[in-house]
Amino acid sequence: MNQRRPPRLLLKTLLVTFGMAAGLLLFVFLVVREGVQNQVRRTQAQNLDVSQGILRALEDGHLRELRMQAGSLAENPTLKAAVDTYTVESSLAGSAAAPELLATVQRELDKVARLVGVDAVALDDVSGRTLASAGSNRQQWAGDDTRRIDGAGTGNVALLDAGGRLFRVVRVPLTLDDGATIGWLELGNALDQRYAEALDRISRTRTAILHRGRVVASTLNGPQAAAFERELQRQGMPSGTAVLDNETYAFRETARIESAQVYALSSVDQAVGIIMGRFNLVLGIIAVGALGLALVGSLWLARLLTAPIALLSSAIGERAAQRDLGSPLPLPGTSLEVDSLTDSFNQLIASVASAETRTEDAYAGAIRALAATLDARDPYTAGHSERVSALSVAVGHVMGLPPSEIEVLRLGALLHDIGKIGIPDDVLRKPGKLTDAEFEIITTHPVVGARILSSIPFLQPHLPIVELHHERPDGLGYPKGLRGDEIPLLARIVHVADAYDAITSARAYRAGRSGNDALRELWRCAGTEYHPEIVGALARALPKVAPEVASGAPMTQTAARTAASEALLEVRSA
Amino acid sequence: MFIVAAATASIAVFATSGLTGAPSDTGTITGHVTLTSHMRGVPISTNAYSTRAVNGQAKPASPEMRSVLVYLKRVKFTGALPTTTAQIRQEHETFSPRVVAITRGSTVDFPNFDPYFHNVFSLSGTAVFDLGRYQTGQSRSRQFTKTGVVKVYCHIHSQMSATILVLDHPYFATPDESGNFTLRDVPPGTYTLVGWHERVGEQVAEISVSPGQATDADLWLPVEDSQ
Repeated sequence: MNQRRPPRLLLKTLLVTFGMAAGLLLFVFLVVREGVQNQVRRTQAQNLDVSQGILRALEDGHLRELRMQAGSLAENPTLKAAVDTYTVESSLAGSAAAPELLATVQRELDKVARLVGVDAVALDDVSGRTLASAGSNRQQWAGDDTRRIDGAGTGNVALLDAGGRLFRVVRVPLTLDDGATIGWLELGNALDQRYAEALDRISRTRTAILHRGRVVASTLNGPQAAAFERELQRQGMPSGTAVLDNETYAFRETARIESAQVYALSSVDQAVGIIMGRFNLVLGIIAVGALGLALVGSLWLARLLTAPIALLSSAIGERAAQRDLGSPLPLPGTSLEVDSLTDSFNQLIASVASAETRTEDAYAGAIRALAATLDARDPYTAGHSERVSALSVAVGHVMGLPPSEIEVLRLGALLHDIGKIGIPDDVLRKPGKLTDAEFEIITTHPVVGARILSSIPFLQPHLPIVELHHERPDGLGYPKGLRGDEIPLLARIVHVADAYDAITSARAYRAGRSGNDALRELWRCAGTEYHPEIVGALARALPKVAPEVASGAPMTQTAARTAASEALLEVRSA
Repeated sequence: MFIVAAATASIAVFATSGLTGAPSDTGTITGHVTLTSHMRGVPISTNAYSTRAVNGQAKPASPEMRSVLVYLKRVKFTGALPTTTAQIRQEHETFSPRVVAITRGSTVDFPNFDPYFHNVFSLSGTAVFDLGRYQTGQSRSRQFTKTGVVKVYCHIHSQMSATILVLDHPYFATPDESGNFTLRDVPPGTYTLVGWHERVGEQVAEISVSPGQATDADLWLPVEDSQ
């Protein structure tokens, strides 16, 4: 089954914390951005209001000034006298008014036009006839028929449409002391492109002048002006916002002169673009910094969470690999949870260790019993296994083997002849020489022993001792006929210890020989039958072992008797 | 505001006879002038026009009727034309009276009664002149030797204006405040009777005068009411 590997805790923690931080940042970014954009729009509209308020006040002041100027100009005695005289004389039937009067009027108007900064000056008589005009736009004002005045009130600003050309007109009457109005003095400024551009320059906003819904002059480009006409018609409001040729403008009506309106337009997009560009840069830097911080923080947090766990996990893994149940793990002390986990693990391995110890003790006990049982079959070999074990351990110590090897040696030596369980008593106990067939049977005992013990996992390290303790350096041993160094060290030790104990032990057919004899015998066969270095080690170890171990099994009365009775029993049963 | 309310002045001319030493030779014209709004045809008040005050003094009312003259046109006057000296006072920053008729050769005095300088000038083709500036108590005069209308202004006070009608016969009159007038010693014949107002111009009526008789005539003058 192909099970999916779960993701790492570090990755998960990182993803969750960083994801949340990033999400929060994004949200804040969007909210702030929207807020700033709205604020900029509002501010732009307010700025437009303010600037247009100022501009309107300026324009109003200018108009007031112009009206006052016009009022004082209308008191020009020569002008009035000429106009009045001309009017009276032309009203008299049959008399032609003197042309020099008109010349006087013209001369006075030229003076006025020079004095006042206006585009056109005109003087009308009471019937609306233009007597004279002056100024740069005098051509448009000369004829009576093309001029149409809207809102021709005194003191107010009138709109004059002179052949399609618009003028903002200040109109004041010429009066005499009888209350009679003898004419009108008109001062006009053209509402033309030049005027729109001047307003644009002063107020720094786009300007559009509309007459009856049509743009007559503007500082917008062509498509924008056309779009503005449509938008105004659609919205029908004096102020608002309009999208003109893909650009958003805030607009305000700043002046209304009868059927003409002056609009100020301010590009919101441009202002928003400038400010948002700066804002995006700053916020981008902040966002990158914040994201970096969030990343570092997330990483730190994730490591804070996972590092103790990883540490604990690797410590546990190490213990498991070494099968080391001895010491408890130290508490990391980083967090209550990890400490608690470590503590639980320690309790678990403690219980496992105690269970294992109990199991090993039980095994060891059982093995000892097994070895004892084997030894008990032959009184002449009683205690053989124990002695070989003790001798082997002594040799191991002399050779400086590590404790774990010593332990293997101790138990392996104890069990080395366990395979003899399967050998019939008549062969095993036969006094005297064995036949070839009987020897063949005897030589099976290492293999049989190894087979018996192979089912016990705990005894796996001991198997080579049991199986190979009859191998010889010259290759004449059994069961495999291994040579020299091919034979495991522990098996070599047990081989020598076994031989020593066999020589020193009494048999039914002979008494046990002395330790020195045994060593002599061993030295004699060293290199062929025994490994010389082991024999040397044995020689060094012997003084340290207990005398009863070194001297082998004595030929006791009890042992002789037991052997005799057992022989009798066999005879009887046979 | 620019109010156009016109008044019509009707000049009723009554010819009466027997006021001169030779009643059999000449006739008399009597009449009545009414100023009405020509828009509505309703007579307007004769003192409808408020007047200005100078130096806190209330200016005497100057009825509009005082700006009306009645005279004959196309009169052949034979004999020596009588001349007079008329007076137009400069008072309360106005010319008073505003309208004066004189015979050719007559003189008009312009005394200054205001506590400051005044000036008298005219651009009219009949008599172009400028009497200069002069102070209170002083007077300047001008003789008018050509017939026609002479508009007179003050160069210092541009709203002041007066009208002098120079005629080559003595058959003219200024109606009284209620509009009545009388022209005496008119030789028999057929005439054009003119009612004249400086803002309206002439309003004419054909009349005939018989010796020793009084002739009646009515005329309406549409006066523009401006204020």
